[in-house]
Amino acid sequence: MADDAAKRVLVIDDAGLVRRYYRDALETAGFEVAEALNGLEALEHLLGGRFDLVIVDVNMPQMDGLSFLQTLRAKSLPLSSIPALVVSTESAPQRVAAARAAGANFYIVKPLRAEALVQYASLLCGARNG
Amino acid sequence: MIFTEAKRYYVERRVIERMTATGSSSFETYFGRLRADLQGEVEQFVNAFTINETYFYREEHQLACLTSELLAERLKVKARGEPIRIWSVPCSTGEEPYSIAIWLLENWSHVDEFDIEIVGSDIDTDVIAIARAGAYGKRALMRLPPPVVDKYFAVDGRDNWQILDDLRASVRFTQVNIVERAETKPHGQFDVIFCRNVLIYFDDLSRRTAAENLFENLYPGGFICLGHTESMSRISPLFEVARFADAIVYQRPAR
Amino acid sequence: MPLIRKPPSEASGTTPAAPAAAAVFAALARGSDDERWSAARAAADLPDSVPALTEALRRERSPVVREAVFSALAHIATTQSVEAVLPFLRSDDASVRTEATDALLAMKDVVWPYVSPLLRDPDADVRILACGLVRDMPGEVAVRLCCGLLDSEPEPNVCAAAIDVLAEVGESSAVPALERCAQRFSDTPFLTFSIQLAIDRVRSQTSNSRA
Repeated sequence: MADDAAKRVLVIDDAGLVRRYYRDALETAGFEVAEALNGLEALEHLLGGRFDLVIVDVNMPQMDGLSFLQTLRAKSLPLSSIPALVVSTESAPQRVAAARAAGANFYIVKPLRAEALVQYASLLCGARNG
Repeated sequence: MIFTEAKRYYVERRVIERMTATGSSSFETYFGRLRADLQGEVEQFVNAFTINETYFYREEHQLACLTSELLAERLKVKARGEPIRIWSVPCSTGEEPYSIAIWLLENWSHVDEFDIEIVGSDIDTDVIAIARAGAYGKRALMRLPPPVVDKYFAVDGRDNWQILDDLRASVRFTQVNIVERAETKPHGQFDVIFCRNVLIYFDDLSRRTAAENLFENLYPGGFICLGHTESMSRISPLFEVARFADAIVYQRPAR
Repeated sequence: MPLIRKPPSEASGTTPAAPAAAAVFAALARGSDDERWSAARAAADLPDSVPALTEALRRERSPVVREAVFSALAHIATTQSVEAVLPFLRSDDASVRTEATDALLAMKDVVWPYVSPLLRDPDADVRILACGLVRDMPGEVAVRLCCGLLDSEPEPNVCAAAIDVLAEVGESSAVPALERCAQRFSDTPFLTFSIQLAIDRVRSQTSNSRA
C-alpha cells in the first residue's frame, strides 16, 4: 500500500539560518516543510495542519522544545504521537535523558549534515525519500 | 501602496515606530531585520502602514467562534447566576463591543438564559466618548446584514446611524491603559477578552506586562482573542493555544 | 435584554492599595499560587525586592509564578536584577533557561556590560544565549563582537549563532571574518552554507543602505 503524498515536516528552531538549511535539505529530498520559531508557534501550526514529523530545537524564546513536546504529548489527540526528532547543541547524558522524558523519539547533536538530516527524517516518518 | 512625496513624513514616522518597537539602533539594522523577516517584521511593517480600520462584525470568524465554541466551554464551569463577562480592549470607537453584543443577541441560542456583561475599554478618552455616543456612518456598518441594521440602529441624518438606547446603555465603557496593572485589575475577571491589534505596538517589556495584566483579568480557563495576524508566540508564554474551527484562541490554564 | 451593565460604583472594584513590603515578601515565599503570582508582580514596584525575588526563583515550581518573578526582575532592570537572573541561564531545565533569556532580553541596555564576558563563558550554551543578547545591541558593537567571536570560537554552534546575528545586522566589514570562519570550518556544511547566506545578505544590505 503506497502512500504517495509527500511527507510534511515542521521545523522548529529560532535561528532563521538553521531553518533555511533544513528546509533546503528536506525540500530537495521531496519533503514539504513548514517552519515555526518556537514551541508555541509550532503548536499553532500542528493544531491546524497535517504533519508527519517535527524537528525540534531545544533553546527557543517563549516556549522551549522540551516544554513543547511535553505539551504536545499531554494532549489526547492523534497528532500527539507525531514522531519527534530533537536536534540540540548539548550532548550531555542528562540533557538527552530530559529530551526522551519529554517525548523525543530521537535525539541528535548539532550541527547536522544535510544527508544525515534527510536520512533521520525519512526513517522517522516512514518516507521513501532520501 | 503608493506614496507620494507628501507622504514622506508619514512613512518616516512609521519606520521610526518600527525601529523603536524592534530596538533597532540604525536603519541598517532595521532593514536587515525586515529583509530577514525576523519575528514577522514584514507583517508588522505592513500593519504599521495600514490604517487600523474598525467596523462592525470585523473578524467575524472570531465572533462565530465565541458563540459556537468559547461560550459553551465557559458554561461548563460557570456557577448558576454568574454573569458571562466579555471585555473588548482596546474598544476604540465602540464597533467591537457593540458588535459582540449584537452578535450574541442575533446568534447565541442561550442568550436569554444568562446575564451577559460587556465592557469596552480604551486608553483614548476621545474614542470612548464616540463609543458612548453610539453614532456611526455607513462605512462602519458595511458588514452588517440590513435586517440587523434596522433592528439595532435608528437612521438619524444622511450618513448617521444611531445605536438604539437599550443596546447603547447596556455596554459599559471605561478608560484603561493595559500596561498599568492598577488600571486593569479593578475590571475584574472575564470569560472572554478581545484584545486585537494593540500588543504588537508595544516594546518587549510593556508587551509582557500587558499580557500578564490580561492573564489576571481572565478567569482560569477563560479565553483571549488576538488580531488574526497576531500570535502569543511573540508575546507571552502564559497562555495555552486552543485551536477551533473558526479561530486560534488563547486560554488561561484552568486550575 | 440579557445584556447587563453594572453601575460604575459596583463594577469598578477597589483600586488596590499599595501593599506593605513585608506582606508581599511573605506571600511570595508562602502563599497560594495566586498569592505568589500577585506578590511577584507587586514586588516589581517595591524597593530592595531583588533578594526576595531571587529566593523565589530558587524555590518556585510553578512556571506561571516563575514568569511573574522573572518579569519583576526585568522590570526592575538594575545590575542587581541582571545578576540575579544570570545563573539561571545554566539551569538544567530548558524552560528556566528560556525564561531567563527572555528576561535578560527585556532588560535591554542594562544587560549589555555583561555580554562580552558571557561570550567567553566556559559553557557553549551560555555563549549561544549571549549571541541572542548581542542581536539587540547597537549595530557597530554587535558586528564587532560577532566578528571577534568568529575568529576564535571553537564550537560550531556558537559560531552559527553569531553568524545568524551578522546575517541580520552585519555590513561589508563583517565579510572577512565570515570568510575566515568558513575556512576554519570548511568541513562543516551547515556553517559554510550559513556563512554564504550571511555574506549574501550582508552584501545586499550594505549596497541597499548606500542606494
